[in-house]
Amino acid sequence: MLFEPGRFQLMDKPDPNRQIKTRTKKESLSREERKKQLEFQNEAVVHLNSLYNYALHLTMNPDDAEDLVQETYLKAYRFFNSFERGTNCKAWLFKILKNNYINRFRKNSKEPGKVDYDLIKDFYHSIKDTRVDTSEAETDYFHSLLHEEVYQALQSLPEEFREVIQLCDIEGFTYEEIANMVESPIGTVRSRLYRGRKLLRAQLEGYAKKYGFKTSTDQ
Amino acid sequence: MSAAVDSELTLKEEQEFLQHLSECKECKEEFEEAKKTKMIIRERIVQFKAPPSLIISIMRLTGISTKEPEETII
Repeated sequence: MLFEPGRFQLMDKPDPNRQIKTRTKKESLSREERKKQLEFQNEAVVHLNSLYNYALHLTMNPDDAEDLVQETYLKAYRFFNSFERGTNCKAWLFKILKNNYINRFRKNSKEPGKVDYDLIKDFYHSIKDTRVDTSEAETDYFHSLLHEEVYQALQSLPEEFREVIQLCDIEGFTYEEIANMVESPIGTVRSRLYRGRKLLRAQLEGYAKKYGFKTSTDQ
Repeated sequence: MSAAVDSELTLKEEQEFLQHLSECKECKEEFEEAKKTKMIIRERIVQFKAPPSLIISIMRLTGISTKEPEETII
């Protein structure tokens, strides 16, 4: 969805529960407000791409992802004062995004666990790849896999496994941060990662076999 | 096993784990496979750039002039 100024301004209204000085747009912002903006840019806005990718993984839809990220930043900015300084801001933002996703999108989503592979394919071809593919000549079967196949394998996992693998391997969060985000004990995160990776490995080996590569299970 | 792959073990745990790996072929193989799986996810999952419309609206939210979004986002 393209940016709509009207819609955005509507959402930009200050929270009535919060004490905030009302001022017209033309008046200059207070020093504190500017300080907050600057800090927000340095701490939060720098994670925009990561958040967008996380939203894409959750929604499987670029429009929804954009909405979700916008809503997340809006909420984050409004409640930026409650962000605990010194902790991982990216983790804080991911948690907000996840909550927004649960509240807004999950209710109307398709059957859980059902993945539309054609949709994923289209989706992959519709958006430009921003990561340069490493083209080193590797004989290892893992290196022959295409991102599309790895993505499909990942998407085929039950959500609770897929989620922790994404947060850990793609986003690099610690177990503690992940546990907080998925609201489960660290032990649960650990065992989900273990089981999820096992499932994923089996899937990837399936692809590898298709291409005639030997895998560890053949040996 | 996962904790070892993700470097989440304490120093003592890691020493014990490595000690065990040197004695147990099965665990060593599994450890190598798990590390590979993590690596392939990291390397092969592509990351997309947020669309310009989104960048602009986030910039407006934080009061940055939309004429120069590249400077702050990248």
